[in-house]
Amino acid sequence: MSDITLRDDSGATEVAGQTATALEPSAGLLPGELRPHPSPLRYVLIAVVLCVITAAEVSLYYLEGSLADAVIIPLLLVFAALKFGIVASWYMHLRTDKPIFARFFVLGIAGAILLFGIVLSSLQIFS
Amino acid sequence: MATIEQAPPPQVPAGPSHGPGPDHPPTSTGTTNVKLAIWLFLASDCLFFGAFISAYLLYRGRAQTGPTPAKVYSIPFTSVSSFVLLMSSLTMVLALAAIQRGDLRRLRIWLLSTALLGSVFVGGQIFEFTEFSRKGLGLSTNLFSSTFFVLTGFHGAHVTIGIIWLLSLWALATQGRLTQKDAEKVEIAALYWHFVDVVWIVIFTLVYLIPTK
Repeated sequence: MSDITLRDDSGATEVAGQTATALEPSAGLLPGELRPHPSPLRYVLIAVVLCVITAAEVSLYYLEGSLADAVIIPLLLVFAALKFGIVASWYMHLRTDKPIFARFFVLGIAGAILLFGIVLSSLQIFS
Repeated sequence: MATIEQAPPPQVPAGPSHGPGPDHPPTSTGTTNVKLAIWLFLASDCLFFGAFISAYLLYRGRAQTGPTPAKVYSIPFTSVSSFVLLMSSLTMVLALAAIQRGDLRRLRIWLLSTALLGSVFVGGQIFEFTEFSRKGLGLSTNLFSSTFFVLTGFHGAHVTIGIIWLLSLWALATQGRLTQKDAEKVEIAALYWHFVDVVWIVIFTLVYLIPTK
């Protein structure tokens, strides 16, 4: 049984207020991709960058005592955020895919940080 | 002006664009439902791991009755495990690149490499848990151990599911049932695998590297 839909003069199909698309991806692109993925060489270079950051993180750990925790902890968090961002944008292709995927992911991360930030603050974990 | 009529079967207009493809029903997002679903799942998994990370942060310095984190952690060992998991993300994207090129031989190699690296990581985690147990730190020893084992244990379970997924894809590829047109299946598995990697990036910093008082 076919659904009742609204059709305007341009021929675009509208379902529940949204315009539905059934278009083929461009050659070589996966569904949801806007630009081609990086080359394998670039993937390897990104892995090298990730390894260097990890080495810097571990080195910072061994500087405990020589450097104040007030310096070490923010630096460790920055390095972790940097690695997270690199993997999400390059390896998970958020740079080259439709922004809708990034929006979902950011929503999840922001929701988790906000929710548990409030919980931990209310339990005075940061004081 | 809009008029009401019976909807005809979906039309597939010609020309380049970035929609879900000819084998997929039309969607308002212009992408496949499965790809949207995996991103929604990953977003919800952020909250799942957020709960366990928060519980760990809440209890890590409190009510110590057994070995402390500083006494049981082996940072060199965990650093190598982290390196192994990072490298598995590299082999995973290389597998995706291979299937997109139609290079099925390299696809099989990189899928198997990723599964093997994941297995090394899980093996390392089992070894670590065994060592902790030997040092007197069990699941119910104290609040730190309970939250630590639950957080890292659930992460390890995610990695194990990923390994089974990758081996299934590898088996399909070996039988010739995974071809270039199935690249999206590998991409979905890759997204899950990279998510497991980014969660470990957070765990490695917050649980292992940040100094404990």
